[in-house]
Amino acid sequence: MSERELVTITIDGVEMQGPAGEVLIKVAQDNGNFIPRFCWHPRMKSVGMCRMCLVEVQGPRGPMLLPSCTTRVNDGMEVDTQSAVVKKAQEGVLEYLLINHPLDCPVCDKGGECPLQDHTIAYGPGESRFVEEKRHYEKPIPISDLVLLDRERCILCARCTRFSEEISGDPLIEFKDRGNAVQVITFPDEPFSSYFSGNTVQICPVGALTAVPYRFKARPWDLEAVESVSMVDSVGSKVSVQSSQNTVVRIDGIDNDPTNQGWLSDKDRFIFESIHSEHRLTKPLIKEDGAFREATWGEALDLVGERLAGYTGESVAGLGGANNTNEEAFAFGKFLRTIVVTPHIDAQLDDGLDPHFLIGVTPRASIPDLETAATILLWAGDLKEEYPVLYLRVRRAAAELGANLIVVHPRRTGLDDVATHKIRYQPGRGPDVLREIAAGAGDYEDVKTALAGGPVVAIVGRTGLGEDPRLAEAVAAFARDLPGGKILPLARRGNIVGALDMGLAPTLLPGRVSESTAHDLLEAEWGPLPETRGRGSSGVLEGLRDGDLKALIMLGTDPVRDHADPEAAAAGLAAAEFVVALDHFHTDSTEMADVVLPVHGFGEVEGSVTNTEGRVQKVNRLVPGPGQTRPAWSVLDDLARRMGGDLGAVSAETLAKEIERVAPAYHGVTWDTLDWGSGREGLVLPVEDGVQHLEYIPVDDGLSSSTARYGLHLGRVLYDDGVRVRMSPSLAALAPEAYVFLNAEDAADLDLASDDQVVVEGEYGSVELPVAIDNSLGKGTVYVPANLSATRNLGAAVAVVLSKVESS
Amino acid sequence: MRQVDLTAEETSAIAGWSAESRRRAEEILSLYPEKRSAVMPLLYISMIENAYVTADGMRQVGVLTGLSPAQVQSVASFYTMYKREPVGKYLVGVCTSISCFLLGADDVLAAIEDESGVPDGETGSDGVLSVEHVECNGACGGAPVVLVNWEMIESVTPEKARELVKWLRDGQPEVANTEEMQQLFGGERSFDWGIKEPEGAILPVPAFGPYGSVGEDS
Ligand code: SF4
Ligand code: FES
Ligand code: FES
Repeated sequence: MSERELVTITIDGVEMQGPAGEVLIKVAQDNGNFIPRFCWHPRMKSVGMCRMCLVEVQGPRGPMLLPSCTTRVNDGMEVDTQSAVVKKAQEGVLEYLLINHPLDCPVCDKGGECPLQDHTIAYGPGESRFVEEKRHYEKPIPISDLVLLDRERCILCARCTRFSEEISGDPLIEFKDRGNAVQVITFPDEPFSSYFSGNTVQICPVGALTAVPYRFKARPWDLEAVESVSMVDSVGSKVSVQSSQNTVVRIDGIDNDPTNQGWLSDKDRFIFESIHSEHRLTKPLIKEDGAFREATWGEALDLVGERLAGYTGESVAGLGGANNTNEEAFAFGKFLRTIVVTPHIDAQLDDGLDPHFLIGVTPRASIPDLETAATILLWAGDLKEEYPVLYLRVRRAAAELGANLIVVHPRRTGLDDVATHKIRYQPGRGPDVLREIAAGAGDYEDVKTALAGGPVVAIVGRTGLGEDPRLAEAVAAFARDLPGGKILPLARRGNIVGALDMGLAPTLLPGRVSESTAHDLLEAEWGPLPETRGRGSSGVLEGLRDGDLKALIMLGTDPVRDHADPEAAAAGLAAAEFVVALDHFHTDSTEMADVVLPVHGFGEVEGSVTNTEGRVQKVNRLVPGPGQTRPAWSVLDDLARRMGGDLGAVSAETLAKEIERVAPAYHGVTWDTLDWGSGREGLVLPVEDGVQHLEYIPVDDGLSSSTARYGLHLGRVLYDDGVRVRMSPSLAALAPEAYVFLNAEDAADLDLASDDQVVVEGEYGSVELPVAIDNSLGKGTVYVPANLSATRNLGAAVAVVLSKVESS
Repeated sequence: MRQVDLTAEETSAIAGWSAESRRRAEEILSLYPEKRSAVMPLLYISMIENAYVTADGMRQVGVLTGLSPAQVQSVASFYTMYKREPVGKYLVGVCTSISCFLLGADDVLAAIEDESGVPDGETGSDGVLSVEHVECNGACGGAPVVLVNWEMIESVTPEKARELVKWLRDGQPEVANTEEMQQLFGGERSFDWGIKEPEGAILPVPAFGPYGSVGEDS
């Protein structure tokens, strides 16, 4: 975007500058003059609905009372925000707004942080002349499972309705009726079931919209808060975590310009319920005769240390670390490489992308690049389901900023309505589609023309879990040669990029460097490192099953649930002689472990995380962990001591300092730089002028398309059966029902009607489910939502066979 | 005018509409560069099809205009001419704004309520008449004004109003036509030189070309 010309204006006698054409209220705010407002929101268009922001502007015929949220600044403008006329106007507006307001602040969640309350005290008339009967509504009414509406309190600012139309694109709430009867409401049988509904609660300037998980939990003045980063996905949305009496009760969005711009998904927002779930593991567990019993830390650590010391390093493997902080991941890697001395390390479960590609691809796009992109090529999972906040950014780029958006996906996606081109294809046939797009043949001529308009940002990932990860690399290789082409690779787990940056892959070492180049350098710091080639997660599970590997350490990972081949994962864990898990909850995998160690999680740990752009930000600790839980790094440090070594981990911060020292890409990144100044927006590595140590140039290695009759799209959904969703009651209730989705023609071919039972069988497993018709699928595409309790046994195949279940 | 080709989803949403309404809907959509701009005329068509603005009707219009049902409801509930409850065959509106009020509109309304047995704002149990008071119709020169299915009669007296009710109830004319009703029940008109309106309303929706009207050039 070209920088806008600056103009000079005078507000209350103070000269200030702002971009020409910007609204007055914003220029004033950026220069430290707060003009009261209700309807204006810096991230939405002005509507001038509430008149709270009236100011006097000098005009040719003297001062005029104008709403500062719709008045654009021009050079030499003179503004008075304090005149008697302005004060009178403010008093009038507030007296008027309070006519129908119930003034039930003592029982309102918003009381204490309510703009209406604050403005009334600061700018209000003190008394009302209104003596008549106020209007009454039934209160509150649920407008979704998560949001309640007290219509009496609403001041009709339209922030919520504008958010749902302008920002999230699901306008399920609107005004109804007129005059005295106007109210915000949904359509009778269509609840406000938006993935973003919580944002309206946050931006409502009164207590009209409240969130079910927070309602009546606390008063704002009792809350303690820290800034942190949501670890639900790898967008790295900035949040404020808030607690009352050592219990996290709310998460709000913080406006971080490069990432979430204040918005969160409801999953980011309400996942906090899992922190205090009664199902949290709180004591070390040791399995005896097939059942777990509680143990003391000393006993459990002694046992683990002793058992692990009994194996050669290379017969032990470590999986996980992608849901942890960088410091924990680093400690895990150091523990595995220097104490256990094993090269078998993987943070992914063969459900992501090539680690070198994921962290090293160049030129890498940042999220703000979307603002200036002329064309966005999106060939990844459905962003609305997998990366809701990134979905908002792409939506904005396409709908507001005019970027051409090309969506390539097997099925309709949340962005189709703002896409200029939608390409649907059968999973497995992506390579052919890519070649056709590149050739601009036939239908793709327009697409090719659009792609010729740079700068192009290509967002690449796996559309579904069965898709060959090399397809994403081929797409990146293609996109990189487009004008101004940059790549934003996507992998899902919260801190996957951080984990890989910390060396949690067989071929990587900490600091975005490859094993082969940095081996000797790191040995100089750490002493001898394993010399043999490590195995990735599939190789680890295979090795355990075949007896080549004997023991497994898991850090917050659930291969039995999440690996592409769940049966193989279970077989591997079952065959292992010794399995130890560090986790927050029991999972399918921890159930198979011999020792389970309960560790601190989000809200309980301090550290840094790295998002999918490579942006490092700080997460902070607010509450103590439950029961006897401990930080993962300190558990690993204790184990190291029992095994005769030392991680040197006195605190998470000492680890951060060590990362800064030994991990090349992280040179100069300290907690201080992240906590203060511009680093609070996060530092994208390599920081300006820095060196990209691992430069990965994507290649198209000539993948061939699958010829199977049916291709499975195993696509992720936001509210799946993942453990943290399951442990957050408000979210768990929102998990969708499982179906096998088919196009009507395919269903007819197979003699299937809606709700008939069908068996889908792939390479790794099968499921039996009812059929639903979805004509956004092309012929040959079968869509099954991934990781629901009813679909988890399917495994991530591409080619599948369908067979009707004859009802008996 | 632009060519509109309804998508499969749009076509199936209004599959239940009459051929004529479907044609009109397409015609209306073709008039606007943005689909959503067609929401108001389409709501009238949905009223013709469903007798009033029903939840299904709002959903159908939503599909045609790319709006969510909540957004369509927002429009439909703002304007009083969109009826969200069943209306009688004849919607009788009495203007009670200032000019008509000064010239006896209240008596006219009372006469209509009394003769029909239908109170202001309600519909008779036989479904023939609905009575309501309306705001200024811009015909203040011919006050007081009564509307039958939005067809106007000017300078109506309480006696004539009673006759009008009887005429509607007993005769149940197919078309409510201004010229005819003015002759029978009206007095002086605001503009004698005003354009002649050949069209008449056949339903409680306004008789503009595309909607429920009959006449010479519909
Ligand atoms: S509910 Fe809140 S955000 Fe929505 S219009 Fe009312 S006051 Fe504004
Ligand atoms: S903030 Fe300007 S009118 Fe509401
Ligand atoms: S007041 Fe009745 S038409 Fe104007």
